[in-house]
Amino acid sequence: MDEVILQAKNLVKRFPVGRTGSFVNAVNGVDLTIRRGEVLGMVGESGSGKSTIGRTVLRLTDPSEGQIFFDGQDITSLPAKKVRPLRKDMQMVFQDPWSALNPRMKIGDLIAEPLRIHLDMSRSECQDRTEMLAQRVRLSTDFLNRTPSALSGGQLQRVCIARAIATNPKLIVLDEPTSSLDLSVRAGILELLQELRAETEAGFLFISHDLGTIKLISDRIAVLYLGHIVEEVPKDKLFSEPSHPYSQSLLSAHLPSDPDASLQRLTLQGEIPSPINLPSGCSFHTRCPVAVDACKSTLPAPQEISPGHMASCLRLQEGGNIIPRDTK
Amino acid sequence: MSAVSSVKAPLSTRFGNRLRGVSRLSPTATAGVIIILLFGVLALFSDLFMTHDPISSYPERILQSPSAEHWFGTDGNGMDIFSRVIYGAKFGFGIAIPAVIISVLIGVPVGLIAGYRGGLLDEVLMRIFDGLRVFPSIILALAVVAATGQSLLNVVLVLGFLDSPVFARLVRAEVLALRSSIFVESAVAAGNPTWRILFLHLLPNSIQGAMAQTAVRAAWAVRISATLAFLGVGIQAPTPEWGAMIRQGAEFMVTGQWWVAIFPGIALIFLVFGLNLFGDGIQDILDPRRRVSK
Amino acid sequence: MSLLSVSDLQTHFIFHDIDNQLREARALNKVNLTLDAGQILGIVGETGAGKSLTAQSICGLLRPPARIVGGSVLFDGQELLSLPEDELNAIRGADIAMVVQNPRSSLDPLTRIGEQLVRIHQTHSGGPLDISRQKAMEMMQAVGIPDPEGRFTAWPHELSGGMAQRVLIAMALMNEPKLLIADEPTTGLDVTVQAQILDLLKELVARFDMASMIITHDLGIVAHYCDQVAVMFAGEIIEQGTVRDVFLKPAHPYTQQLLAATPERLDLGSENQLGGQPPDLFNLPPGCLSQDRCPRATDICRTDPPMVQVAGGHTARCHFAKPASKSASKSAKPRRSKQNG
Repeated sequence: MDEVILQAKNLVKRFPVGRTGSFVNAVNGVDLTIRRGEVLGMVGESGSGKSTIGRTVLRLTDPSEGQIFFDGQDITSLPAKKVRPLRKDMQMVFQDPWSALNPRMKIGDLIAEPLRIHLDMSRSECQDRTEMLAQRVRLSTDFLNRTPSALSGGQLQRVCIARAIATNPKLIVLDEPTSSLDLSVRAGILELLQELRAETEAGFLFISHDLGTIKLISDRIAVLYLGHIVEEVPKDKLFSEPSHPYSQSLLSAHLPSDPDASLQRLTLQGEIPSPINLPSGCSFHTRCPVAVDACKSTLPAPQEISPGHMASCLRLQEGGNIIPRDTK
Repeated sequence: MSAVSSVKAPLSTRFGNRLRGVSRLSPTATAGVIIILLFGVLALFSDLFMTHDPISSYPERILQSPSAEHWFGTDGNGMDIFSRVIYGAKFGFGIAIPAVIISVLIGVPVGLIAGYRGGLLDEVLMRIFDGLRVFPSIILALAVVAATGQSLLNVVLVLGFLDSPVFARLVRAEVLALRSSIFVESAVAAGNPTWRILFLHLLPNSIQGAMAQTAVRAAWAVRISATLAFLGVGIQAPTPEWGAMIRQGAEFMVTGQWWVAIFPGIALIFLVFGLNLFGDGIQDILDPRRRVSK
Repeated sequence: MSLLSVSDLQTHFIFHDIDNQLREARALNKVNLTLDAGQILGIVGETGAGKSLTAQSICGLLRPPARIVGGSVLFDGQELLSLPEDELNAIRGADIAMVVQNPRSSLDPLTRIGEQLVRIHQTHSGGPLDISRQKAMEMMQAVGIPDPEGRFTAWPHELSGGMAQRVLIAMALMNEPKLLIADEPTTGLDVTVQAQILDLLKELVARFDMASMIITHDLGIVAHYCDQVAVMFAGEIIEQGTVRDVFLKPAHPYTQQLLAATPERLDLGSENQLGGQPPDLFNLPPGCLSQDRCPRATDICRTDPPMVQVAGGHTARCHFAKPASKSASKSAKPRRSKQNG
């Protein structure tokens, strides 16, 4: 399906820092589009703004500038009361399943909560649907009467997913859903998401700092750095032809578990600048191995490399965006 | 390492084990509970323990020192002190429990709303409650009871209202910490209206501190009501309330008839002590980060 | 003789619960490992495997209800488990140093970082203050902190995560330890910073000829920065050997599962029934601890699996591990293994 379920235009989010008068520039002009049935992966490190984007498009926090369109409707300045009923169709799965669930509520009630709020169901209908949801996420119905402390991380995350799909939402945002889980548990959760994605027609926004995980589940990938999308690309192309210097270094920093795999080390100097003091021009210029003078003053605009593949780098034209490698 | 038995031990054994485990975890709470239970039994089953009728006076036996007939002696009206002390336990509980319930019913919702909403509402509510706390409660209670009339009900109402800021503060503090936690955000993301967030999500998770305080506040209520009676406000003779009894007995201390004031005094101290012990020790049990004993 | 020799280390959790029942969990079971100068050992496993507990047991940093109930830890010829606390204190921070995750919470927030470096040097090496100060500057330089002179007076909260981690490493190295233990040193750090920190550790281990132990759940780190690896599960080392041997020819089904679960090898949709709950240390199954999640488990797994010598220096605790010189990965049918001692 081609229907656009979420569109953000020039999204900006600033957080004031105490009473100092300065701001954390978390999101600095982001455009994104998510269609029904597709998974957009957002990858970035700390300060990239990825979590903030996830919360902002769901209006869990208000944007400072820009517009958000959900299912065609402009929800940018919608009052909280009007946003609430929309939540039936847009849901979120959080990173830490232990803190995302009310520790004093029963699992069954937690899963049924969206049903009770948004749908008009009889008690038995609700019970049936809850059991069905538990089975769908491969969670034993024995757990429905327990509290979260009795379940493991993987099981809790399944509860969170059941909660998120309960009302058949059109958009699901997942903020690092597997990062807090053990390695052997992640696969199960990702598989579940893969299945759900095939079954529902929902659009997914999958946020992660781990490229490996993003690769497994996404159709398209957006790479974020300090609140900007520096590259947006269909999944496979990111790994075969990363264009932006940051994407290239991110890829190179990933450590595969094969000791024989040759590492193409592109160790960046320094650390990510603070979002309170954004570098001028292209935010990446302070660490970029191929930066030139123009990069310090000019914010690069997104350029199309091929259909569906765009990157924001001043050196794209002349091919200077590829960082020379030394292999190990 | 231990094999999992498929048959559970009988209820009484499990209960006994739980008791032992709890008392190991908090000797303080255990001691407190024992004392409170003792007075509870006395209050409920006073008839079984009293030797005489608490309000019958024996005019020929005024101010007799403790004897085989009157274990705690008699007071200025010839009434048996032992029976009066036993009966007085009813007032201890009869005042403390309703007063604490009123405090909780007022304080908890105020704390919830103030903590969650924040802003102007929070400021206004908290300033009012701070004002209440700063004012010496005895003076305030004296004034109110004197104005509205000397009755048990008035005392309970005043104490209940005066003590509600404590609960409001405790709940508010927890809510402030919790309102930015992820599960609350998750509840908002699910589309919960505010009332559900307050009562289904925040309340159950912010009430523990307040609940632990109930025993301590009950102790306060007992003490204050006794003080009021001692000052001549609220309950009066011949009602066998400890504070009133101490008031009456105070004048006889000088002349050497110590038993009139001391016995009700000891009872009062003991109950307050027990409530405080329990309130203190209950934290050990409720706190999820329990200290593990060896 | 190895620098560090841990034999049959046994650590249990022992306490009375709220029902007054005595509870005992076998948190570490007969842990054996050796380490020599210049070697980097990776200890890898999931939650509850006992990786951090091993390090804490070695350093004597256990708190109740955890207790060492058996075994020996020989460091530089000395038995650490029977040392009195004050002698152990002299070794900790000096000969054995530890770097942990969450660097910012490990630093004293009320003392400038330069002072903290000086303090730890003074505690163990004493001597004139300016020698300590000079050493601190040198260490800050060695760990790649830019402008050591200026940064000497910085407060911990002024540092970024990566910088704070470098400070922790500098602190660990102030007294030139023989053994450096890094417990999840890069968890929580950005991946681009992680690479810098790991490269730094590797370089420093070589430069100061230390023995080093890296505890992590990230197989990629072990694959590229360690020589030796020990895979832990439910308090036991279930496979041990060189990184190449264990990662390229894993003999234990759990190791195989773990490697298969890394994102680059994962094949979604091929019914990976991997993982499940972390093992309940209070209710361990008899025999092999991972039998509940092992696709190859049979009746024999209810007896204690032997530690099989798969190859020179490569051991695996599994009934089905083959003690051969050929590749010891998946065999067609489970068979009884020959007891090799």
